[in-house]
Amino acid sequence: MTTAAMFNGSVQRIQRTPPAYFVFVGLLIVLWLSRPNMLNINIIGIFMRQNAPLGVLVLGQLLVMRVKSIDLSGGGVILLINYFISSGLFPEASLTFFAVLGLTTSTLIGLFNGLMIGKRRVSAVIVTLAVSIILVGLVQFLSSGKPPGDVPTYFNDLYNTKLWVMPSPVVFWIALSLILAGILSSTVFGRFVASVGESGAASHFAGVPVERTIILAHTLAGFITGLAALVQTASIAVGSVRVGLDLPILSVAATILGGVVFGRGEGGVWGPFFGVLSFTFLFVVMTAFGISDPGKLIAQGLIILLAAIFYGVRAAKSD
Amino acid sequence: MKQDFTNLLTGRQSRQGLWFAPLLVAIAIAAYLALSAPHFVGSENLLNLVAQAMPLTITAIGQMFVVVVGGLDLSVGSLISFTTAILALDGPGYLLIPAVLAFAVLVGLINGLAVTRLNVHPIIATLAMQYIVLGVTRTLRPVAGGTVPPVVLKAVNGFVFGVPMPVFWGLLVLLVGWMLLHGSRFGLHLFAVGGGIASGNEQAARNFGIAHKRITLLAYVASACFAALAGVYLAGRIASGDPNVGLGFELDAITAVAIGGTQLSGGIGSLQGTIIGALVLAMLSNGMNLTNVSPFLQTAIKGSILLMVVGLQKRKLIGL
Repeated sequence: MTTAAMFNGSVQRIQRTPPAYFVFVGLLIVLWLSRPNMLNINIIGIFMRQNAPLGVLVLGQLLVMRVKSIDLSGGGVILLINYFISSGLFPEASLTFFAVLGLTTSTLIGLFNGLMIGKRRVSAVIVTLAVSIILVGLVQFLSSGKPPGDVPTYFNDLYNTKLWVMPSPVVFWIALSLILAGILSSTVFGRFVASVGESGAASHFAGVPVERTIILAHTLAGFITGLAALVQTASIAVGSVRVGLDLPILSVAATILGGVVFGRGEGGVWGPFFGVLSFTFLFVVMTAFGISDPGKLIAQGLIILLAAIFYGVRAAKSD
Repeated sequence: MKQDFTNLLTGRQSRQGLWFAPLLVAIAIAAYLALSAPHFVGSENLLNLVAQAMPLTITAIGQMFVVVVGGLDLSVGSLISFTTAILALDGPGYLLIPAVLAFAVLVGLINGLAVTRLNVHPIIATLAMQYIVLGVTRTLRPVAGGTVPPVVLKAVNGFVFGVPMPVFWGLLVLLVGWMLLHGSRFGLHLFAVGGGIASGNEQAARNFGIAHKRITLLAYVASACFAALAGVYLAGRIASGDPNVGLGFELDAITAVAIGGTQLSGGIGSLQGTIIGALVLAMLSNGMNLTNVSPFLQTAIKGSILLMVVGLQKRKLIGL
């Protein structure tokens, strides 16, 4: 192989790498140069634990984005499950009861989203946003706009445990990522997801059950959102009428940064994983440099836009 | 005759879509509210209703241009907040009003260029812009306050020959919207571009010699300008700048557009439908306030209406 061919190959590999990896490495370097004392395993573990709910939610988001859809109902689902746990509706209930209740509810909401998007062919953005609006309005109505109450202590106790040196929520997030990566790469459903993401029409003519794949992807995403809601509720340990409302948009941003291209059905699990880590470190760096919340909003918007432009230009070149 | 009426009712064979049925719904809601809440038909309440509905109507008309070309603009809410924040900078009106309109054109251009030239999905481009504009707005004005120029206050709250100004605002946006959508080549081309996208052939309009990218870009600019206009109106109403006043406007505008029969996949829509959609939402809010329905429950009801309306619009494409 000539030097020029090797160079071209390297350039192509770099172009195919999701921006999340570059952003992550860049932020690590900035932290290492400016705040080297922050780069130890305990502090990083704490930062990662804070973002574990987002990390879990991203897994559901990437699944539906792989089939050219989107799920923005996560905010409402997280709020509803937080309300179930903290409102005192089920006094003395066990962790298992809340887990089953929360996961069943979120899975049913995911199924509803899937049926509306896959069967009725309604815009995914509108359906999932409308579902979120309904759930948020309902929870705020039921709690009269005030924080409902306390979360049973066993949630926070579980949240604060560690497995070796890593906090349990982080281990849970990594384990879930591994499982999803396995499902997407080694199962028939995973192949169907890749196929529908590539081309819905071609998949249909090839015998792939397009509607069923979309419905199942949304149902699974609903289940995963339920898991994210349980982790989020355990992390804040109190009832809230605002918790998790910004997570769906952040999950879209992290997923895009991680290489799952919106509306094109590309990408894997680990890119979005590093997308979440990039956002984690971005907020750490911005806080360390004293950048205010509005500045963070601007940075977030710019990152989403630049990542989308990166993919858009790349796709235009390859067409 | 019977066939014509059926087509009007179902929106079939019409580029203007399903707008007649929402009109009947609006009349039914108005009749119900008139019977159940006696204050509803009072002149004071009706004037209040027009004044309340105006910012949403203006924003929804702008949103409709983008929806007709198969896009969505999620940045309009932030732009409304930004406009009120700029107008409350205690400067002269002749400087601040052109400044907000120029910024709106810039935002629309960036959205349009990202979508048409840089191949970014409309939802992502306008969502990113929503964040950026909101961040700039909160930097300029972290909390509500400031003073709006007297010319804006007079233009929104004043009277001309005893007629309140919101009526003139309504007539102005109606005229401009009608000219753009139904009285110009631009409007005709919007339907051509959107129709092609809805049928799965993005190049269809281009094949007929239409500069589809320029038309799409102009639709985003129009949407941003209408949002800035709504921001000017709101600044006059609240007489101050508020970084959060526009939150949720993008969804309300999309809901109004969808209720009015505009197809979210593009190519079908009407001005009258959009105005009816905005009026339906305003009447529901007004009626629920008069009948003491909790504002939180109102949010849930609005979400349910959006879900029902879009659920009735079955599309060819699956997904976003």
